Amino acid sequence: MTKSYGYAGKILDIDLTTGKIGTVVHDDNYRRRYLSGAGFNARVLYDEIPVGADPLGPENILAFNVGVLVGTNIPTASRSEVSAKSPATGLFGTANSGNFWGSELKFAGYDGIIIRGRASRPVTIFIHNDAVKIISAAHLWGKDAWNTIVTLRRELGDPEIQVAAIGPAGENLVRFASIENGPYDAWARTGLGAVMGSKNLKAIAVRGTGSIAVARIKEFRETVTATRRAIYSSPFYGPFERFGTMLVTLPYQEFGILPGRNFQTGVIDGWVETRSRKLVPRYSNRGVACIACPIACAHWVVVKEGPYSGLKMKDMEVTPVIGFGAGCDIDNLPAIAKITEICQRLGLDMVSAAAAVAMAMELYQKGELSESDLGYPLPWGDENATFRLLEDIAHRRGAGDALAEGTPRAAARMTGSDKKAIHVKGLECFLMDPRGRWSTWTLGYITNIRGGDHLRTRNPVENLRYNENSVPYRTEKFAFPEAMYRNLDMPEQLKQEIFDPETKDTDIPKMSKWSEDLISLYNATGMCIRPPVLHTVGPTLIAGLYSSLTGIDITPEETIQAGERAWNLQKLFNIKHGEKPEDSDYPARFYEEPVGAGPAAGRKLDRVKVKETLAEYYRARGWDPQTGHPTREKLAELGLDDQNSNFSQ
Amino acid sequence: MIMAKELAIRPQKCIGCSTCALTCSLVHRGVFDPGQSNIRIYRDDFAGIFELRFSSTCTRCGQCARVCPSGALQLLEIPGDDAPAAEGQVSAQ
Repeated sequence: MTKSYGYAGKILDIDLTTGKIGTVVHDDNYRRRYLSGAGFNARVLYDEIPVGADPLGPENILAFNVGVLVGTNIPTASRSEVSAKSPATGLFGTANSGNFWGSELKFAGYDGIIIRGRASRPVTIFIHNDAVKIISAAHLWGKDAWNTIVTLRRELGDPEIQVAAIGPAGENLVRFASIENGPYDAWARTGLGAVMGSKNLKAIAVRGTGSIAVARIKEFRETVTATRRAIYSSPFYGPFERFGTMLVTLPYQEFGILPGRNFQTGVIDGWVETRSRKLVPRYSNRGVACIACPIACAHWVVVKEGPYSGLKMKDMEVTPVIGFGAGCDIDNLPAIAKITEICQRLGLDMVSAAAAVAMAMELYQKGELSESDLGYPLPWGDENATFRLLEDIAHRRGAGDALAEGTPRAAARMTGSDKKAIHVKGLECFLMDPRGRWSTWTLGYITNIRGGDHLRTRNPVENLRYNENSVPYRTEKFAFPEAMYRNLDMPEQLKQEIFDPETKDTDIPKMSKWSEDLISLYNATGMCIRPPVLHTVGPTLIAGLYSSLTGIDITPEETIQAGERAWNLQKLFNIKHGEKPEDSDYPARFYEEPVGAGPAAGRKLDRVKVKETLAEYYRARGWDPQTGHPTREKLAELGLDDQNSNFSQ
Repeated sequence: MIMAKELAIRPQKCIGCSTCALTCSLVHRGVFDPGQSNIRIYRDDFAGIFELRFSSTCTRCGQCARVCPSGALQLLEIPGDDAPAAEGQVSAQ
């Protein structure tokens, strides 16, 4: 085998049914086309998961792939992607996470792991450089994720072992179970923990002591320095380093776009004093980083008083604070930190878990779910009831069993309709309310490949000071200094199409397409999507980093196109596995019920306008504006018209 | 005036990113390999503690401090005590 630069060089291929362990090596042409991460996973899943495969059956494939830039000192290059057919959506399931597991796998000598089949008994995969073993996890089955990590490190005799593990939720096939990445991070969305549980795979423990080579060191170091300077120069860097993702907690209340009480209200009384970023310094005075990250968006939280006194953990991120703090109206950050710990131990995706609890609270409020159904009352804001309900979901007890199916299935079972479930394609969207603020980000709920989710589309220069659409549904206010967009790493022609310097407007459909391709590129290389990066690190820097690291030369145009290729391939997977055009739509509540209170009170979405905007987005993508299917011309442009794609409109 | 650049170490500021170790191994060994680095960050993720350890082969070249994002490692210019006091400056003692 020739020496591999940047890449570890091979991917493990493990069949848990037979116990066979092999490796796969890709050539430079394949690497240039799909890069790594989400790109590699998309190709494998598209080619190898048969139509009609049960997401929780042995024919599903669970693919882990580490970004090619990970394991180096490129700022924020820490991420790896896990993908499978999702038990929540039945479509392309995929999730991204940083921390130290991915880099450890590369130091062990592998870029990824493809997992097939199903073990007959609970097992752990233990990887220590060349030694790859499938060992019994009988004694770990039933343990929570934190205890699993501690036990594996102790038993395997090395505190530096990095562990990906499921908790009871994954074991019990909860459709929004996560795979925990160490104690505090996770590949959370789309229910991949249930896929891992269905394979009787409790954990993947990794220790690597090898090295990653660089093809052209001088050029590489210069490009890393340029990347570091770019990130530090972003005006988003300082605020993000200080507040992390909690930054958005103030504007969301100001605009009235919180998902308050399961999207019944856009504002929460006392929000700023009890749950906003202003509270961060009370509980934390330092950040905690993923490998190679200078931003450290997570906080080391210490609770010193009250009922949760003594709680110490990496926490205080926007997802649980908005989900449980606004969605369920739990009114204090220490309780939300405790909920975070419970979700991490149980192995639950906190976005969908918050949506499930919030929906149950609304059903309880409206008399459609009773104390006798639950075994306890479930009023808004009751943290102790929330703790119990999360345990019931993970262990599929009582009403928790229905909720473990995800909100659309649970609502249908409990009420006969899914109208109170806030989801797109079966995945809960639970951050901001598109009725109150329409933007590139909120259009992303329905264009996102993996369903209702806020993490795969985002305007790199979104301005959270404004909430204006000069052309309704079509533009959002930009209004930063001109240098902000002039410096964007984006083709000049596209800049002229997207930004209007006179009116300060941004074209939403075109920006959606661009930002999805850019984030897809990040997810195919291991970069992080935090705003200081998204704003400054584009195809030019990534092409330079990739080329000098791997020795495989790629242009900026080819780089962003690889992101677009990965996105289109995931869309093809969805179409192949039954996605219909009408699935790309908001939940009924956003059209039928106006926001209940706050600055956005009375607003709801307009179906015709949404449909028109979606058609514009499809045009920007080179997809059929009616069906949202990639056209033959687009597939030919991306080189996806090969026989394996087998695509017909 | 004598000015020396000294490596100041403040572990309580460490965010655990290991950029120092990754950079050290690239500069001195030509590969990314924290195990071959002259500086290692040992992380106790349940306790939130990051421990900085230097190997005996460390030359105090300062590359780790140049890339440290948190201020845990810094190159400080230390003026010598033979430096003349600025005009108007009065010693407290």
